Amino acid sequence: MKLISSTKAILGVAFFTSLLVLNVASAAPPDAAAGKVKAQTCFACHGENGISVSPDIPNLAAQPPLSITYQLIQFRGQQRKGGAMEALAAGLSDQDMRDIAAYYSALPPPPAQSGNADLIAKGQQISSTQYCNSCHGPQLQGQKHIARLAGQSPEYLIAQLKNIRSGARVDMDGTMGSAARGLSDGDIEALAAYAASLK
Amino acid sequence: MKLKTIHAVMFAAGVVVTALASAQAPAPAPASGIPPTWAQGRTADGMNPSLAPNPPGISAMPADEIPTSKLKVPAGFKIELWASGMPNGRSMTESPSGTVYVGTRFTGNVYAVVTKDGKREVKTIAKGLHRPNGVAFSNGSLYVAELSRIIRYDNIEQNLDNPPAPVVVFDALPKDEPHGWKFMTLSPDGKYLYFQIGTPANIVVPPYTHAAIVRLNLKTNILEYVATGVRNSVGMDFQKGTKELWFTNNGRDWADENLPNDTLNRLARPKGMNFGYPFCHQGDFLDPEFGKGRSCEEFDKPEMNLGAHVAALGMRFYNGNMFPAEYKGNIFIAEHGSWNKTKKSGYQVVRVVLDSKNKPVKLEPFVTGWLDGENFWGRPVDVQMLKDGSMLVSDDETGAIFRVSYGK
Repeated sequence: MKLISSTKAILGVAFFTSLLVLNVASAAPPDAAAGKVKAQTCFACHGENGISVSPDIPNLAAQPPLSITYQLIQFRGQQRKGGAMEALAAGLSDQDMRDIAAYYSALPPPPAQSGNADLIAKGQQISSTQYCNSCHGPQLQGQKHIARLAGQSPEYLIAQLKNIRSGARVDMDGTMGSAARGLSDGDIEALAAYAASLK
Repeated sequence: MKLKTIHAVMFAAGVVVTALASAQAPAPAPASGIPPTWAQGRTADGMNPSLAPNPPGISAMPADEIPTSKLKVPAGFKIELWASGMPNGRSMTESPSGTVYVGTRFTGNVYAVVTKDGKREVKTIAKGLHRPNGVAFSNGSLYVAELSRIIRYDNIEQNLDNPPAPVVVFDALPKDEPHGWKFMTLSPDGKYLYFQIGTPANIVVPPYTHAAIVRLNLKTNILEYVATGVRNSVGMDFQKGTKELWFTNNGRDWADENLPNDTLNRLARPKGMNFGYPFCHQGDFLDPEFGKGRSCEEFDKPEMNLGAHVAALGMRFYNGNMFPAEYKGNIFIAEHGSWNKTKKSGYQVVRVVLDSKNKPVKLEPFVTGWLDGENFWGRPVDVQMLKDGSMLVSDDETGAIFRVSYGK
């Protein structure tokens, strides 16, 4: 009897604790539906389905949500430059960014892109020696705040890797800077072809 | 015979010329890449390979969402949210007038927190700096340690809303990003800025310029080394009375889930101490790779082990009058929290008690609650004692500062 009531008490406490936890965590949950509304401006370039309209613009579909949020925060803070993106991000709140990220991250990933088989094989080899999957994941699908590279536009990847190599794009902690330093133009093209070929 | 010698000399000269010529040519791409710094030292047969660093906190949590009530302090103490809205706010220093300056690692900002009529106002006084993690205040000037240079904002207190352009004090520091951000503090005599130059990798025989604590003479601008074999110290403070520098040091990753410890260290001699990195860690743990043929007896030992992977960062002595008498002279250390460990540890502020012989004898949690199971909502980076005897704790995940007080 006593056992049952104390069990009940424990369950009750556990229930309320979990409610509290939920309350705290859900003070501002990322909202994909709200994100879709807020992302209307993004559609013209990044597509409603997260597949971009032009090869020099990145696909956002299935990007890890934190990766999108982090890039938007860096555009807003002028730490990353990217055409119109600084101005577009300037008016977004953290919550807007989380919502937009929730929308794009939930979309089906971009299709794998075919390419020159030799180039793809070379890219896979370089990806392995450069430890790309240490951060970007085994299939370069991204994780946490690290971008998804699988199915990304190769033209975009080439431009970004060259910018990182030259220092024109400063990455957050220097990891990509040191990774890109030793890459030749040919290496970069191969890596981009390989990443684009993944799903 | 003579001819042979001449030939040999010519050959050697030829080799030198060739070597010089290739030194002038652009560096060739390395045959294979190196792993990202954090993954360096990871072995196939070693620890859980899925471990990876936590994403850094680069945005500020709105004040009304910060779950301050989850933080726990010992009975009689109180913890409250003191200031918020500082993305990635990390190292702190208090000026004589009570302004608290806050450096950052990822957002490039420096903040000033001013208290007016009991309310705090946060001003962003610098933007676009490169890893301005270290802050120190002296003679009306704010010194900021960026990744590779020290800069100074003169008469900053009178110009918080319109800060002057910084004066470059010293700009010849290494540019390595890994462990390149600095913790900085002023010596008690005001003559030197002390800061670390961390090792450029997880575990490597570093260039002699790195894995050290250095000091910059503010009058002569001469930089000198005060301690070597220090992997990366992101917290230091001078002890009142002895005027000795104590500092935390972060241990290497990927050796073991429970080894080596982060450490608390004392600069017993003003120069020449070597704390062992990369050969020996925590004074008695030979490095699995670099320790071969070496002995820990070659090196100076830490004062205390703090736990493996806890990321012991900011530390300060408690010299204030607000906390109970037994806290006088204690050391408080902010543990940023682990990533290279399957079960998370750290994510708290700990208290270290010294005995009458000045030896650390007790280590216990002081502020906890940032870690909820295996999830964290905040990460303490630095502790700063205020003139009123209370203690601030910065948190770069929420972009907030908490205040611990006692009584009333």
